[in-house]
Amino acid sequence: MIVRSAALGALLMSTVMSTQTQSPVFSTRVEVVRVDVLVTDSGRPLLGLKPADFEVLDNGVPQQVEFVSYDQIPLNVVLAFDMSDSVAGDRLDHLRSAGAALLAGLKRNDQAALVTFSHQIALGAALTADLEPLRDALDQLVGSGETSLVDGAYAGITVGESDVGRALLIVFSDGLDTMSWLSPTAVLDTAKRSDVVVYGVSLGKTKAEFLRDLTSFTGGRLFEMDKTSNLSATFVSILEEFRHRYLVSYTPRNVSRDGWHRLDVRIKGKRATIKARPGYLAGPS
Amino acid sequence: MEARLARVEQWTKAVMRHKPGTPDEAAFEVGGWSNTALRTLFVDVNVVVKLIRNPAAANFSIQSAGQRRPEEIRYSTSDFRRLRVVACAAGGQVGGGITLDERRCLDIGAINQLDGDLRELAQRARDSRLSGDDNYILRRGAVLEADIAMLAPMGSEPIAMSSAPGPDRFRMNLADGLGTEFRQVAVHWDLARMLLDFIKPRGTDRVAPGGDDMVRDWYRATAAWMQDRQDHDTDHLDHARAIFSTDAIILFLSGSQAEAYAAPEIQSAVRSAVVPSGARFSIGSDREELRRAEGFYRRALAAVPAFPELRLRLGHVLLLLEHHADAARHLRDAIEAEDLPLLRYYGELFLGAAEERLGHADAARQAYNEAAALYPSAQSPHLAMSALARRLGDRPTALREMQTVFDLQHADSLSDDPWWSYHRSQARNADDLLAALWRPFLAEAER
Repeated sequence: MIVRSAALGALLMSTVMSTQTQSPVFSTRVEVVRVDVLVTDSGRPLLGLKPADFEVLDNGVPQQVEFVSYDQIPLNVVLAFDMSDSVAGDRLDHLRSAGAALLAGLKRNDQAALVTFSHQIALGAALTADLEPLRDALDQLVGSGETSLVDGAYAGITVGESDVGRALLIVFSDGLDTMSWLSPTAVLDTAKRSDVVVYGVSLGKTKAEFLRDLTSFTGGRLFEMDKTSNLSATFVSILEEFRHRYLVSYTPRNVSRDGWHRLDVRIKGKRATIKARPGYLAGPS
Repeated sequence: MEARLARVEQWTKAVMRHKPGTPDEAAFEVGGWSNTALRTLFVDVNVVVKLIRNPAAANFSIQSAGQRRPEEIRYSTSDFRRLRVVACAAGGQVGGGITLDERRCLDIGAINQLDGDLRELAQRARDSRLSGDDNYILRRGAVLEADIAMLAPMGSEPIAMSSAPGPDRFRMNLADGLGTEFRQVAVHWDLARMLLDFIKPRGTDRVAPGGDDMVRDWYRATAAWMQDRQDHDTDHLDHARAIFSTDAIILFLSGSQAEAYAAPEIQSAVRSAVVPSGARFSIGSDREELRRAEGFYRRALAAVPAFPELRLRLGHVLLLLEHHADAARHLRDAIEAEDLPLLRYYGELFLGAAEERLGHADAARQAYNEAAALYPSAQSPHLAMSALARRLGDRPTALREMQTVFDLQHADSLSDDPWWSYHRSQARNADDLLAALWRPFLAEAER
């Protein structure tokens, strides 16, 4: 006999968030391949690298790196927070604080946005450099309902792609998906086509298989935690790590246009550990 | 033992007093008994019912789930005699002394051992028997037990495995895809099912619950109630199918239960649950449950081919099993035959997904658009259109559809996106089915 708690039905009918939201402004971008790359040596970021230091193989074919940026392009940080009914009390307080700590670490031209997901997908605040609406939205977060993690991650990626900056998506969830319409496969497909780098923060004992795949395919990282007391430090460390990444750009040459492109990024003549997305998907599938 | 026997008598009186469909004093009285008390009540009532059906019976046994062999039930001579007296009353066999059964009750002087309430019970049961329905205590007992399970607050207790005869029942509460609590609960549903197993259809003299309309309606209504409340009990529909193996509604509800079991919220909860020793979930993997659902739906369709909602659900299961062309065919048929916007919405949404998987982007978009038109406040069709556009490289449309999703965010009631209540929608008539089930009992009480 399985029974869903009575609270669930009631929570499904309550309001997820009430916030004044701005409409996001969407724009398209140039079709070059951008790869966010973290280069470390013995765990410490390797700084001062130039385009000539990078070797990029697209499906095994060497490419001409045209542009390397380090801490120059403003960030678009999208927070995608699980607001299902299990996120309440201390957990919610810690999440608000972590969001605020991350916002405090943003620079003047950086932008941020807030997406929430329960059974419903909501835009708490569109991408903006004015962080006040975001702080307000964080203050008004209320946990209720089911978990549409997959839909929420898709929404976060889409918001991240809505502007030309470097997009970092931080997905926080304390459970498994229970209500999404989109399939994990469909959203992973989208992620493979996107420049957005996803970091996941998964709380609890559940196996975060979808978040592991999502972070892996986008070159991000998954943090699995038992409690939220260190959530602020985790969020800040994600931002720091992302700032230490190089944005490497090239226009693909001598490779087929469509399909899966395996990427290998190396540093010439230096011992280094590289973290980047393993490839990208191009063309319609 | 005295308390046990007294409880059996109390129970028969509560059955008589209970007003179907109401959480009345009789329901709360029985509902307030401990799980241990109800477990032994199950055993003793089972003996009473067997005595009603065969007053000459002298040997009794019970076999609970998981037991290899039946376990013998023993009583002292005086206790057994008391149970026979209760059976005489509950079976309406006290009185005339015309039939063999009545003469047996006469032989033990049953009439002289009944208090006023039991005499009234005996009279009512006899009247019912003489009118052609020899099931007074069985039908009403099942209604009482179901009403307790549905309407009266159910107590739960910490897990305590017992070696005593009788069924055990455990409950895992779920929230947000996680099991939140594992408790032992009362065996009201088991008791109700056991009682109905002894039904003789009106005008017949043979135990055959499968030939009885009330038993069929009881299973349909209670199974629908369970699914509407997402209070799942695998045994319930297993038992229903053992009795009504070709009933399209029972098979339909069996399919929708398996479909719900395959959904992530139950799969994830079952996977993460720490199950007490000796207890087990009767739930397979998502693929196994989907294949079971497909089997039930196909059997139901064989019985009733013109059942669009059934075809719709079969289409959804086939979609999840990645039989996309077959899914699309069933979904198109269902949409064509269905008028209800809710079901058309599901049909179009699922058809869009099937067409998308088949590589028919235009047909998929059209189906998603139809779904969006049916429920303008639903997010799912726009999420689907956004992801479809993104996959096809049409980023502006993907962004525009996502904007529509965000614009709908303040629509928050479950009816705004029927996808959120898909696994309950098949049971949307549960309350009507229950009202129809209770109606004859209430009408009889008023006469």
